[in-house]
Amino acid sequence: MSGIGKARITWSSISRSYGIYIALFAMIILSSVINPNFFSAENISNVTRQISVTTILAFGETILIICGLLDLSCGSVLALAGLLSVISYKATGSMAVAFAVAIGVALFCNYLNAMMVALLNAPAFIATLAMQTMARGCALLLTKGQDVYQIGNYTKVGQGSIGFIPIPLLFLVGLFLATWYILNNTRFGRALYAVGGNQEAAKASGINVRGTKVTAFMVNGLFVGIAGVLFMSRVNAGLPNGAINYEFQGLTSSIIGGTSFTGGVGTAGGTVVGSFIVGFLNNILNLANVNSYLQQIVRGAIIALAVIYDIWTKNRRTRSLVRGMAAK
Amino acid sequence: MLKKLFLAALIALALVGTVSAQGKVYKVAFVARAQADSFAAWLTNSIVQEAKKYKDISVTVFDGQASDDVENSLIENAITNKFDAIVIQPNNGESQRPYAVKVVQAGIACITTNARIAGIAGASSVDADPYMQAAVGARLALKQVPKNAIVVVLDGPPGNFHADSRRVSWQKEFFDKRPDVKIAGEQIGHWNKDEAMNYMEDWVQANPKIDAIISMNDNMATGALEVVKDKPSYKGILSYGVDGTAEACLLIKAGTMTATCLQNAYDLATKILDTTHKLVTGQSGQINVDIDCPLVTKANVDQYIAMHKKAGAIK
Repeated sequence: MSGIGKARITWSSISRSYGIYIALFAMIILSSVINPNFFSAENISNVTRQISVTTILAFGETILIICGLLDLSCGSVLALAGLLSVISYKATGSMAVAFAVAIGVALFCNYLNAMMVALLNAPAFIATLAMQTMARGCALLLTKGQDVYQIGNYTKVGQGSIGFIPIPLLFLVGLFLATWYILNNTRFGRALYAVGGNQEAAKASGINVRGTKVTAFMVNGLFVGIAGVLFMSRVNAGLPNGAINYEFQGLTSSIIGGTSFTGGVGTAGGTVVGSFIVGFLNNILNLANVNSYLQQIVRGAIIALAVIYDIWTKNRRTRSLVRGMAAK
Repeated sequence: MLKKLFLAALIALALVGTVSAQGKVYKVAFVARAQADSFAAWLTNSIVQEAKKYKDISVTVFDGQASDDVENSLIENAITNKFDAIVIQPNNGESQRPYAVKVVQAGIACITTNARIAGIAGASSVDADPYMQAAVGARLALKQVPKNAIVVVLDGPPGNFHADSRRVSWQKEFFDKRPDVKIAGEQIGHWNKDEAMNYMEDWVQANPKIDAIISMNDNMATGALEVVKDKPSYKGILSYGVDGTAEACLLIKAGTMTATCLQNAYDLATKILDTTHKLVTGQSGQINVDIDCPLVTKANVDQYIAMHKKAGAIK
């Protein structure tokens, strides 16, 4: 009787549900103490600009990882899509065309990823690794490795603001809401968790596993295309060698935000928080002028801690489930 | 009759032999550091372009992908394929040194460039001195940077010969002579514009005033300038780079950037092909040559913009 209908609120249950938010809050407090400039509106605005591209990539990665997939090509596809977007903007002067080209290119690349994974059963790791090389090669071949300059008003999307709100932040919020909605309120979202949690069980329950994977890649493509425009616009150039290793930054944000690498677990909110943790960490280390080499050690340690925490909580949950079943 | 035919055949053979000797095409391998590196790509394009001027030279480009292992394998393959000359743009000079020695031992003309691998008997080199490239900017900064100035420094990848030499040059030519100057921030930007932007955005928050940006290449300098270009309080900020990229030249012309040192890939390519040609045709046995390190400022930038326009880098 006593336990029925009542949720026991313990420190471990709080830390399990809100640990990542507590970590972010603690980090903000600590950083504000270390450097008084940290919690200024301008600095927060800077950090959101800095993390906007990688957070958008992280949303795509989160959707894919929940489904048991991942994308190692997003940095290179971003560069190719953004580059072609810059070239088409220079030719037409139209931002709508620039967006359409970037999104089209990224969707095409992700469609190829999806075909390799869903149709030909190639592991996502290998398929997207192949696409990473091909997309980067295309970008370099197209420009002979040279940057494209003098891009005019193309920069307004990545560098401009509406009032005091940076435009990249608006994209970030919009795509966060889209990701949140997809994961929480759509049949596709539920299918993602089911396929990532147990593909065979998902298939047995009538979920179209192949369709779910293809759609996951296409949503990722949409996000990568938008990120491509924001990136090139921010750096005021078409950089064929831009966004190198951004796929790992996206993955890092997603995993620190609680997305489980084994699939079936993850949230849009967690990914945003994970991304802010990475962004704030980089920011405070720079504000405090910490040595570059030390920064790498700290960042690596944070990723390791996040993964260890994820495994630890999962093991605890499994043990408590086993104990519960044994008691019955 | 038979004698005449035999004689005619001999003459014909001799003529064919002469024509074939005149038409010999020397195979040259250019092992580039990484074609994803914008300067390496500029150098590669320039070498390919310059090679078209030589009817007896055919250049094949190989991409070292910024990996010592890949680059060393490519050099070994080029030796096996019996190229007449191998031009090496090292990823890491000391790692490629034994392989450059192997090239010489195989009797193949070896040219190291950007940066030179010094001290290999029988190997040639064409380079721009990275110390001097930074020194011309540092000497200008000695006069321009105000007393008690606050500066930020953007470094290239650690272990990279050019990155390290340029930083040493700034230390000896500027920082050691100006103890009043305070470094408010120094980070490794890996030659990248976007990384430099992130660092500069943070430094601007931490420091109400920054007098100068000291960068080991132009990409990072232009990235840092991108952050402060619309901030009135940073109007007139000094900025120094190296490379003389098209973008840097345009910014110098606009008065946004202070100075750079031209590392002229066209010039390097011209000298590399000239050296290669002299080596493979036996006109010379060993050549070591440097290109100039001209300082680019607003006073002389027009000629470099014209150079980039001619090459198609500026439309």
